[in-house]
Amino acid sequence: MTAVVRRHARDGPRRSPRLRGVVRPVRPVVPLLSCATVVLAWQLVAHNSGAGWVQAVGDMLAGVLVVGLVAPAVACARARVGVVEGPTDSTAGLPVPLVVQSASRVRVRPLDPPGAESFVGPGRPVPVAGDAAGALGVGVVPAPRRRGEGEVALHPRRRGVHDDVLLEVASAAPFGILWWRRDVRVPLPRTLHVGPRLGEPMPLPHGAHVSATGATRSVPVPAGEPRAVRPYRAGDPRRFVHWPGTAHAGELMVREMERAGAEPVTVEVRLPPEEDAAEQMAERAMATVVTLVDRGAPVLLATTELDGAHLGPVGDRRSAGRRLARAVAEAHGSAGRTVARRTR
Amino acid sequence: MKLLQAVRRANRPGPPEHSVTLRVACAGAVVTGIAACHGQGELSPTVAVTAVLLVIGGMVLSYLTRTRPLAFIKPVLAMAAVVAFVWFFRQLTGQAIYDVSTVEDPLAVLFVWVQVAHAFDVPARRDLAFSLAGSASLMAVAAAQAIDISFGGYVLVWLGCGLVGLLAMWSSASEGGRMGIPGLAATLASVTALGTAVLVVLPAPHVAGRVDFPSNAGGGAQLPIPGALAGDGRVAQLAKPGSPGGLTRVGGYLGFANRLDTALRGDLGDTVVMRVRAQRPSYWVGETFDEWDGSSWSSTHPHTHRLDSGSPFVVSDGPLPGSAVASQSDLQTFYIVRPSPNLVFHADTARQVWFPAGELFTSDTGTIVSPIGLGSGAIYTVQSDVAVPSADQLRAAGGVSTAEARPEAQYLELPARYARVRTLARSITAGVPDTYDKVERLISWIGTHTRYSTAIPPLAPGQDTVNEFLFGNRTGFCEQISTSLAVMLRSIGIPAREAVGYVPGPYNPITDLYDVEAKDAHAWVQVQFPGFGWQSFDPTAVVPLANPSPGSTLLHQAAGVVRRVPWVPVGAVLGALAIAAVVLRRYRSRPPTWAELAARHIERAGRRAGRPRRAGETLSSYACALDALAGDPSGSWRAIAVVVEAAAYGGRRPAGDEGAHVLTAVAALRRQLPRAPRTGRARHGAPVEAAPARARSVPATTGQDAGVDGEPAPIGVAVRVAAVSPTGRGLRRSSPRPPGGDGRP
Repeated sequence: MTAVVRRHARDGPRRSPRLRGVVRPVRPVVPLLSCATVVLAWQLVAHNSGAGWVQAVGDMLAGVLVVGLVAPAVACARARVGVVEGPTDSTAGLPVPLVVQSASRVRVRPLDPPGAESFVGPGRPVPVAGDAAGALGVGVVPAPRRRGEGEVALHPRRRGVHDDVLLEVASAAPFGILWWRRDVRVPLPRTLHVGPRLGEPMPLPHGAHVSATGATRSVPVPAGEPRAVRPYRAGDPRRFVHWPGTAHAGELMVREMERAGAEPVTVEVRLPPEEDAAEQMAERAMATVVTLVDRGAPVLLATTELDGAHLGPVGDRRSAGRRLARAVAEAHGSAGRTVARRTR
Repeated sequence: MKLLQAVRRANRPGPPEHSVTLRVACAGAVVTGIAACHGQGELSPTVAVTAVLLVIGGMVLSYLTRTRPLAFIKPVLAMAAVVAFVWFFRQLTGQAIYDVSTVEDPLAVLFVWVQVAHAFDVPARRDLAFSLAGSASLMAVAAAQAIDISFGGYVLVWLGCGLVGLLAMWSSASEGGRMGIPGLAATLASVTALGTAVLVVLPAPHVAGRVDFPSNAGGGAQLPIPGALAGDGRVAQLAKPGSPGGLTRVGGYLGFANRLDTALRGDLGDTVVMRVRAQRPSYWVGETFDEWDGSSWSSTHPHTHRLDSGSPFVVSDGPLPGSAVASQSDLQTFYIVRPSPNLVFHADTARQVWFPAGELFTSDTGTIVSPIGLGSGAIYTVQSDVAVPSADQLRAAGGVSTAEARPEAQYLELPARYARVRTLARSITAGVPDTYDKVERLISWIGTHTRYSTAIPPLAPGQDTVNEFLFGNRTGFCEQISTSLAVMLRSIGIPAREAVGYVPGPYNPITDLYDVEAKDAHAWVQVQFPGFGWQSFDPTAVVPLANPSPGSTLLHQAAGVVRRVPWVPVGAVLGALAIAAVVLRRYRSRPPTWAELAARHIERAGRRAGRPRRAGETLSSYACALDALAGDPSGSWRAIAVVVEAAAYGGRRPAGDEGAHVLTAVAALRRQLPRAPRTGRARHGAPVEAAPARARSVPATTGQDAGVDGEPAPIGVAVRVAAVSPTGRGLRRSSPRPPGGDGRP
């Protein structure tokens, strides 16, 4: 485990921190050589012809080329980029749309987490490629686009918790001759939890309450004490609908009963230090938890986070994703395992 | 393999470019480049128009087929490019290449056709960028031939198209980015500042030493006598001795002739006569004179040496006098703007001349004339060696009496009347041992004791120019000053001669050319130094300006203003104004007709009664109003108005004394009208009209009158309480506000 802050999962190309914030050109050889060739050719013609007009026009041309080569560096250095809107939860592998604002037109490419490049700033709005908007995570409120805002899609490949995002900001203004870029770390308006993908679930222990169909439950008998109120899921009985909560939340809410006969299943996750292996382990844990939750079993998830071991109930996919997003390998290292057992 | 892949990657077609702005800007830049080449005479009108139409058509076709380019277009364009190159090389091999213009014209045509072919295949942004860069090559070809500031128009348009194209390119690359006004302003300011800074910092481009130079005859015609001096008319004619009406008046200068008459006064203007690209400013000599007769210089060295080696002509290839003296090579290209004499101007000692003729003629003194008249557009180039001896070297040259450098006798000859000049020169140079210091001393004396002015009267016949200048008013211009120095030098045994030509005019940093104006014609002195040849001295440079005479200055300025007035349009305007004034005056002075007189009487009566005639109101309706005002039901005013209108519009003038009777009746009726009180001022300062005409126009129903202090009485109140009398008096009596009262009963 290497991260010391909440953003503990590196998810992008490795860049030297020393260059972070430094404006540097993008593939400068061809533009520089082309401009130098043009200027030298003009000077050669001016020298051979002795014509003042050739030199005068060449000087103006040189001015244009110098501005075209250097001005993007200034524009890039002066660009102020901020994320004004973003989701709180997402899943690794799915695009995460961010609303990014900039006073000048710049090309933005997320580096950590990685993502697709897009253009933000004054000008024609650019739609996010793919179905990022459709795959929106929880918590995104589509905001009306204001001047200078654009959408940038992250494509996190691993789970993790992100308080900020590393963006590559590039500009070629005003002439598009040469692109200059710099890396900026931009805070997110809300912490982004990227949960793991759904992997193969663990074999469930004997005694765990599993319905015949697995995905859907039979009509349950309201037994036990009301434990909480949760959003309606397909198959919930009408009598469980909690009308005051529905009126309060604006969506259909149902009571969740604490069934006396349902013993919680504890899913204990110990992640290995290797990132890929840890990711796979988290995916399996996620699948296991989701399977158990979908079957209606109370689940306790035991993970290790930065501040120590955590054990707590998870009632839905979102809370499971957040817990697993925060999960880290144990301090002393282990092979990593996920165990689901009945809690006595 | 990697190289092959890189080539394939580089040639991979880019995404189609949808920006119309970018395409229009690129097409504009290319068309501007073609127009610039045409403007510099490198493209014929047919080629230019055809190329412009094809470029526009190609751009449109490329835009329409940008997503699905035509399959056959690339092979066809490749074939067209090959054909263009074959044509170009055939042009080069089919004729002798003796100067740059021989190559530049076909090169411009080649560039144009390549641009035309390229315009048909520009589906992507990168192709349009190539098109933009190609337009730069056209501009370079045109700029190489541009010699005047008017080319700046093409440059501005091209730069504008280029900047718009580059901005559109960035907008397209950033998928619709827009730049605000501040950003645009900053960009333009940066480009302008940088371009200007580079222009200021970079040294002027000088002509390379080992290339050919442009030459152009400028439509000059062959002179009938080889080696003769031509005038500056459109048709090549022999020059006549300088006279104000002669043929050798280049912008008013009379010196470029077989004889320089210093008794005449020219009128030099600021017309640009030629532009010169030179490595350094010099005195560009045209002629030298060695024989002085007291008022005129003439030359005893005709241009008899024929050079027929072809361009470039080798004028002299021997070493310069004084081989130890440092010399500089100086290349000068002369672009003739106004028809000029056939003198081939050059700096110091001409070595080679690139000239558009088969032969040239030189004299013993090194001056050159062409066999053709030099019209507008003529171009030639001279390579000179300019000796730059130091003052010490010239001092060391000593006097003129050395055996190895005895001067020709004519450079010392003078008419016999210069004993006083000789005495003066000797007194000035007394005690000075060497020639150089004597020359400097004489120049210093001239600078101290004479004044410069071009506003001097012509010399009377028989007067001597030098005596008049040195012992008379001591005021003159370059001819008098230099001639006086030459005569003084000759009088003390120093060989000297008169040279005429041009000095560099204003330097144009944009075109890198000296704009030589007519007033830059100049005369100076050449002094022979043993071992160093003829060295130029310009005494005029040290002569201060004469105190201006207010009267003559005013007259001179007034004459200048009068000369500049565009008399044709001004005269036309003044004439039109005068005609209009006369017509108006005659119209106004026409005696009024009877009808007009009667109408005036009626209007005057109405005004007295406080009812002026309104604009647009007919006389009949006005008379009705007056009838109502007077309370006259019989309509006397109306009857008079009918008679007047019949006379005015129907041509029925009243017969006999009827007219006078009518006017009398008007006067009688006028007395019956109530008189309006005088205009007063209300308590609050607002002007008060005498009586509202509206109220008075209906006396039968209102019967109101002016109230106290000019305030109108309430309308309609009395109507309901008083009996109506035909005269209306009853109305006034029954008024609740008696005149002079305060409104109380």
